[in-house]
Amino acid sequence: MQTVTLSLKEKNTIPIEADAINPDNFASKSKDDIAAIMVWYGNAQSPIGDLFDVSIDGSDSAGNTKIIINGDVSRVKRIGQDMSAGEIVINSSVDMHCGSNMTGGKITINGDADSWLGCEMKGGEIELNGNGGYYVGGGYRGEACGMKGGKITVTGNVRDYLGEHICGGEIVVKGDVGLLPGISNSGGKIVIEGNTTMPASEMKSGTIIVKGKVAELMPTFKEDGTEEVDGVTYRKLLGDVNIAGSKGVLLVK
Amino acid sequence: MSELLIKNAVVCDPINKINCEKMDISVKDGKIVDSVSSGAKVIDAGGKLTMAGGVDGHTHCAGKINVGRFMSPHDMRMTNVPGLSGKEAPTATTRAQVGYNTPNAFAIGYRYAKLGYTTIGEAAIPIIGARHTHEEFEAIPILDKFGLTLFGSNWQVMEYIRDDEPEKLAAYVAWGLKASRGYGIKIVNPGGGEAWGWGKNVSGLDDPVPNFDVTPAQIVVGLAEANEKLNLPHSIHLHCNNLGKPGNYETTIATMKLLENIKSKRDRQVLHVTHVQFNAYGGTSWRDFESAAPQVSDYINTTDHMTFDLGQAIFGPAMTMTADGPVEYSNSRMLHAKWSNMDVELEDASGVVPITYSPKNFVNAVQWAIGLELALLVKDPWKVMFTTDSPNGGSFVNYPEAYTYLMSAKRRAEVIETLPEMALGRMNIPGIDRELDLYELAIMTRAMQSKMYCMDTKGHIGVGADADIAIYDLKPDSVDTSVEYAAVKKAFSGATYTIKGGEVVVKDGEITMTPEGRTYWVNAKMPQAVNDAMQVDLVQKFKRYYTVNQANYMVEDAYLPHPVEITTEAI
Repeated sequence: MQTVTLSLKEKNTIPIEADAINPDNFASKSKDDIAAIMVWYGNAQSPIGDLFDVSIDGSDSAGNTKIIINGDVSRVKRIGQDMSAGEIVINSSVDMHCGSNMTGGKITINGDADSWLGCEMKGGEIELNGNGGYYVGGGYRGEACGMKGGKITVTGNVRDYLGEHICGGEIVVKGDVGLLPGISNSGGKIVIEGNTTMPASEMKSGTIIVKGKVAELMPTFKEDGTEEVDGVTYRKLLGDVNIAGSKGVLLVK
Repeated sequence: MSELLIKNAVVCDPINKINCEKMDISVKDGKIVDSVSSGAKVIDAGGKLTMAGGVDGHTHCAGKINVGRFMSPHDMRMTNVPGLSGKEAPTATTRAQVGYNTPNAFAIGYRYAKLGYTTIGEAAIPIIGARHTHEEFEAIPILDKFGLTLFGSNWQVMEYIRDDEPEKLAAYVAWGLKASRGYGIKIVNPGGGEAWGWGKNVSGLDDPVPNFDVTPAQIVVGLAEANEKLNLPHSIHLHCNNLGKPGNYETTIATMKLLENIKSKRDRQVLHVTHVQFNAYGGTSWRDFESAAPQVSDYINTTDHMTFDLGQAIFGPAMTMTADGPVEYSNSRMLHAKWSNMDVELEDASGVVPITYSPKNFVNAVQWAIGLELALLVKDPWKVMFTTDSPNGGSFVNYPEAYTYLMSAKRRAEVIETLPEMALGRMNIPGIDRELDLYELAIMTRAMQSKMYCMDTKGHIGVGADADIAIYDLKPDSVDTSVEYAAVKKAFSGATYTIKGGEVVVKDGEITMTPEGRTYWVNAKMPQAVNDAMQVDLVQKFKRYYTVNQANYMVEDAYLPHPVEITTEAI
């Protein structure tokens, strides 16, 4: 087991782009090697050691590497981007693109996350113990697929476009969700325990379950009786019927 | 300007019938000359393969490609071909690059140059959009450019053909070439662009265009006759009706036959049929879809009046863009893909739809095979221009990969192994053992273009030609291209030297300088009396229908800071 602890020396206002902070990159490296890894700080590159206090315990493979991040990293972007294994624990709020395109491992955020959390992720797990921003689990502009695999769990609320054109994987939000969650869903599963607005528009396939109140339910769904999930009975809606050959299922109270 | 001497070059120059022979090349003032003084700068080619700079006579590099860029922000993240795609930071010599199928203008210039190409032809300029095309041409560094102007669904053209006014038609075409600073006549799905304005298409050569009472066959023949009356350097450049539909090969062959009796005073074809891969489909539906490349090739082998290009499909993401509006509508429905559609006033239509060619999809697999079959079944390489109709069949950065399919049966067999069983019965490529040699590749990628576009300073390295030269890291004496395809691909992916107009623009696959390229256009002269009579009709068109004033419509000289004007006299 290798544990790397990064503590932000001083809260930054200029953003840090820290896609280099991931277990694949840190595994079996010494403290000095990790401190020397470059990250973008504004328009220039800077070694991690200049921005963070680095401490390290043990040396192991990526799968057995745990990164603990302390200090206010709410202006540090792209933590855990592209990671394939291991674990990251962030004890603060975090900036955009955290865990985007990750394929494995786990990220735990004990704070809020800004937009684009877990975008286009293919596998692994993100646990957000706080609120999320826009496009959680979505896809970047122009892409046909957002999240394709893995799981995102959010204990708080998230904003609009949750799981935008998601093609696989699962998202669970315990709180409320903004506008248009699961828009163009093409095979993912989204569970919303709180309230939301206009879910599942343009859904092609996959499942969306809303346990709270739905505002402005789209008129483009076909009523298909009821379905019971975990002892709760939902209205079952099929659609979006505007999409030819749609096989999507929307379950609402 | 300086002098340059290239020593120990093993030259493949089919125009001058030089088949990989060791020789020296002398360059002075941007031209190939007999000899240079002893003070000339010397480049030792060290026995490496040397060809004229490549000429891509049908690519989408300016104009409509911009719509592709708007629609595909994700394209800038694609890095499918390392070194020739994706984001690259600016350097001291180059500007920032992004993209794959729809790269930014600078990247188009750099990447073609890295492949050893020095001249490219934009396949479709709508006259009304020509200013923008030329602005983009200017932004593409290094390369010489030319563009083909769309006439196939143009109201004035169709009216003159209907009214049997060949003189005025020729005068209008001459004016349209000048208005757009175009090089030749492009016809896309003749009549179909106008029909698409009514939500319809034309179903074949004899299906009249709504409201115009002319047929696609009449449009094609009328424009071909106008082309020869104007004695233009290129023939008509035709995208046939029914593109992309199973069974369309019959329309394609019928269209080719239609032009058999057109005569030209120039020593070139009278018809160029473009991206024939998309027009050589057999079957009656996508269920029984199959290659009809043998039927089309058999016909092409019997005639000498035409040339064609491949439109080879490359597995992976691509971006279809064409003036064939109805085709793009069908594509978007079939693929459930995003769709851009445009009406080009009195001139044509257009559309853009992204596509991914997958080797697991049996239709895509057969499409891949059809392009190769056409190249290999047509016996005379002088009739075949190598293209992917970039980025319709795939980005031009895949050319080196595609060369290996043409040059190595072993490489083809490797790909065929990955294709679905169902596709194998619908294609003929597994039974074809022909392998192109470097000489034939040079014909298809530069030499035939010299003849086809009557560009006697391009596509060869004889005395008097432009000093556009590519030197590749291959030793023709020792390389076995049918086996060492990895080496072939690597060599063509980054030229050891690309020389443009006598200047070294690429060395060891890296851009060394970025001079501005020139733009070729054709100024065809008609008698003034005919021009005047034509203008009377044209003024009415602008007055009644166009959103633009005629005075604001013409491409002005300022849009072509580096023009090469080619003048022709009507016959």
